[in-house]
Amino acid sequence: MTSATVTGRETAPPPAPATERRPGRVRHRPTRSPAAERRRRVRTRIIVAGIAYLVTFLVVLPILWIVLLSFQQSDQILSDPFSVQTLTLENYRDAIATLPLVQMYKNTIIIAAVAVTIGTTVSFMASFALTRMVFRRRGVQSALLLYFLAGLAVPVYVLLFPVYRLDLALGIFGTYAAVILPYAVVSIPFNTLLLTGFLRGMPGELEEAAIIDGAGLFRVCWSVVLPVMRPILATVVIFNVVYVFNEFPFVSVLINDPDLATVSLAVSKFQGQYSVNYGGMMAAATLVLLPQLAIYAVLQRHVIAGLTAGAVKG
Amino acid sequence: MPGYPFRRPVAAVATLAALLPLAACSQASDAEQGGPTTITLSMQNPDVKTADPATWAIVEAFESANPDVDVEVSGQPVAEHLQSLSIAAQSDTLPDVFWVYKSNAEEMLAGDRLLDLQPILEEQGVIDSLPATTVEYFTSDGTVFGVPYQGLLTGLWTNTQVLSDHGLSTPTTFDELLQVAETLADEDVVTISNGASQSAFSVWQFLVWLDRFGFEEKMDGLLDGSESWENPDFVRMYEHIAELRDAGAFSSNVSTQTYQQAVDQFLQGEAAFLDAGVWAAGAIQDSEVAPDTTFWKGPTFSDGVGEQNIIMNVASAPLVVAKKVGEDEAKLDAVERFLGFYYSDEAQQLMVDNGQPPVTTYEPELDEKEQSVLKSALDAAREEGVSTPGTQPDLVFPVAVSNAIYDSIYGVIQDQLTPEEAAALVQRALDAE
Amino acid sequence: MIWLSSRWRIAVMVLPAVVLFTLFFAYPVLYGVGYSLTDAQGFSAPRLIGLDNYAALGDDPFFWLSLKNTVIILVVSVAFLVPASFALALLMQQRIRAAGALRALLFGPAIVAPILVGLVWVFILDPRVGLLNRLLVPLGIPEIQWIGGDSLTPYSIALVFSWASIGFAMTIFYAGLQQLPDDVMEASSLDGATRWQQLLHVTVPMMRETIGIVSILLVTNVFKIFELVYMLTGGGPVHRSETLVSYMYFVTFTSQRYGAGMAIAVVVLVLGALTSLVYLALARRGRSA
Repeated sequence: MTSATVTGRETAPPPAPATERRPGRVRHRPTRSPAAERRRRVRTRIIVAGIAYLVTFLVVLPILWIVLLSFQQSDQILSDPFSVQTLTLENYRDAIATLPLVQMYKNTIIIAAVAVTIGTTVSFMASFALTRMVFRRRGVQSALLLYFLAGLAVPVYVLLFPVYRLDLALGIFGTYAAVILPYAVVSIPFNTLLLTGFLRGMPGELEEAAIIDGAGLFRVCWSVVLPVMRPILATVVIFNVVYVFNEFPFVSVLINDPDLATVSLAVSKFQGQYSVNYGGMMAAATLVLLPQLAIYAVLQRHVIAGLTAGAVKG
Repeated sequence: MPGYPFRRPVAAVATLAALLPLAACSQASDAEQGGPTTITLSMQNPDVKTADPATWAIVEAFESANPDVDVEVSGQPVAEHLQSLSIAAQSDTLPDVFWVYKSNAEEMLAGDRLLDLQPILEEQGVIDSLPATTVEYFTSDGTVFGVPYQGLLTGLWTNTQVLSDHGLSTPTTFDELLQVAETLADEDVVTISNGASQSAFSVWQFLVWLDRFGFEEKMDGLLDGSESWENPDFVRMYEHIAELRDAGAFSSNVSTQTYQQAVDQFLQGEAAFLDAGVWAAGAIQDSEVAPDTTFWKGPTFSDGVGEQNIIMNVASAPLVVAKKVGEDEAKLDAVERFLGFYYSDEAQQLMVDNGQPPVTTYEPELDEKEQSVLKSALDAAREEGVSTPGTQPDLVFPVAVSNAIYDSIYGVIQDQLTPEEAAALVQRALDAE
Repeated sequence: MIWLSSRWRIAVMVLPAVVLFTLFFAYPVLYGVGYSLTDAQGFSAPRLIGLDNYAALGDDPFFWLSLKNTVIILVVSVAFLVPASFALALLMQQRIRAAGALRALLFGPAIVAPILVGLVWVFILDPRVGLLNRLLVPLGIPEIQWIGGDSLTPYSIALVFSWASIGFAMTIFYAGLQQLPDDVMEASSLDGATRWQQLLHVTVPMMRETIGIVSILLVTNVFKIFELVYMLTGGGPVHRSETLVSYMYFVTFTSQRYGAGMAIAVVVLVLGALTSLVYLALARRGRSA
């Protein structure tokens, strides 16, 4: 381990000396009784919670509106979206009748599971090598990192046609693999950015110790680095899954067998050459959205939050 | 173990790599075992059944009459449909029968991707039931590369109730239309409902106006460069659009509403006219404005050029057949029968039943009450003395120029371009060709 | 670590990503670059025309408009989003009832497909039928052209982009905060540092890496904004509100000028690569500091 790959706490400046309170501050806060201090704390906490709830509400409002509109008659959505008398389940009946939802979900889950596994695995391996391992030529290391990161801003439309031909040439057109491989690959720049960043911020002593204990490369990755990286890996997985659920350009070109269609095609089914069924779109959107929210809620509770809860309060 | 730290992941990747081609094989190989012949029909609507019921009904009827043929209908929104086609054309993986813009069809023909349909049409005896102008329109260098998919009969749907509520009657000249717009603007009612967002092409009425300012006679010159789009006639046409705009004829959110929203605006009785075509008949028929709706071919111009009594009633984008269908006898036979059926009287009546005008010379049966809206459009097209241009002006140019035409018209409607700038925009696109 | 860095071990770690990335990403991009040197249009066979497409971009007022709009969105959303999402992540660290549910809800917009984000916001921002003006106009405020007018559209797009991205950025910040070593945090609070001092002198410096990551992600995502514009205004009126990728989409697919469209894509690509370079340079400087 070289010192160059270690950042974070060693380089952080020491905390500011606490005794140097500015006089202005002191004047406003004369010595308080413990009871007053507790009351102040409670008040602060209520304000903080209030802000958090308010911001969340504002952010969620448009989503609530999708859900509301999904119960509104299509022709009312534009003219009178708030009318209560015209609420209907019609859109959901449309959506369920038009969309083979079970099949779509099955396809999406298979594709997401394989693509995200491949994408995160290869990205993690490469990121580990690019931050932790010692290249004989440092230039190669930086160049490779730039190579991956340069992909961040590539508009996906550039890739459609060549990838289609690649799929044909590899004989995977008409199979799940036709989108699995591009999905896995498109996630590499994003994954590499996050993983290398977090690896750089992670202290190296644990690995050093493990290596001294005789651990091999695999053990170092699997038993030492991976556990510490779990929050960010979970985050990466979530983002990749969301990407697969919402990706449209690739799937619209690379999948032409309706039996392989994914949920991201659902919404477009309601858009005709001369007609758009807004109600159906909203219902389809809700049907795609809610399961993802549930997945996220479960994941973040058990993976991201769960891990740190043990570490922080333990 | 420390020597081979990566046995597991490597094995996993290797297994995956081995599995992928297998999956490909298992999917690809159950076609050639007798059974019904499958032909693919690829359309410009993702949900053909609801968005294009006429085509759906014809396919259903064809399949029940020909149990040995299976028509696999698929579709995507127009943009993705064309995207997929252009990719497939270059990889020679086109669907068997598909919808495509005429200019694209001609490009594919030049790339030798399309089947000559002349023999099929003759064999099936349908060539005589198609209007001669239509066949000619889809002929290039002696090859018939396409057949009409549906009719392009466009005009202004008119809500007579909105007009009479404000003491107005249906206009015939541009000056009368302008007066209608001024009156309605005072009452905060939209005169012509249009939507530019994601639907810049929805300017059908103004494309007819080009024909009322001499487009037909200028067409060849525009194509070979001897005539300019910035001619005084066209500039005058744009000026008239500007007059309408200044009179408050268009919706204040014309930039952000889509064509679908424009339709809804009309269906809610919030606009006097809807710039659209016969395809909207079904939606209007199902709405409350149906009894008050009539079809108007648009205003005449005292300063126009050439015949003013015209209605746009031409063939829209074609259906075409991939060249490689010709190499598969069973497929070719199935496609032949399909096209034969498509232009039969039975199928054309199905079209009418689903709100589309026939594309052959067939005289359809119409229910006066149930199909009053469609009937008013067909009646307008068959009115004494009215004639139709050969084609809609945007359809004769490459797609880039068509889009410049749409931009020029909406540019004036949205007060972004002066009439001169609008004309120059199109000329720039023509020059780039 | 040097003990485990034999050449073949490095190869095993790096090669899967390199091979896949080269095949499905770098090669297609080169293909696109090649196309940008042709006059490929519609369904016709392409012809090499050198740098003409790039030269034509210089004279294309819509291209410059789209670049300008992209920069406006970039400045507005990054200046607002980075601090706001960081603050939100800090907020989420406080002990709040149902904080887990709040985080899930805040992440909600990131789950909505961009196409739908655009669609929903049309119903909010549309000057005539949108929710906002429906609320404001009765109060006597004149109809404001939030989208579709001459000037406000890029700012509205920045707003919608911020809405769609704030939960996403917050989640990354949150994960970063979770990885901070607790002993340092506890030590500094035991030292009696005020919250504000702790934030400024301990948390922010230690989060520098994460701040860099979020910034580069947001910047490159702004470069790629497409669906929002497509749904909100379709780029209109007459391309006034296009961003780089929405205009590229119009040129490439709507107008079917593939060669010219790929030239715009290459511009986006170069801008993105430059951003990555800046990030890497900063990251390296941070490391050796």
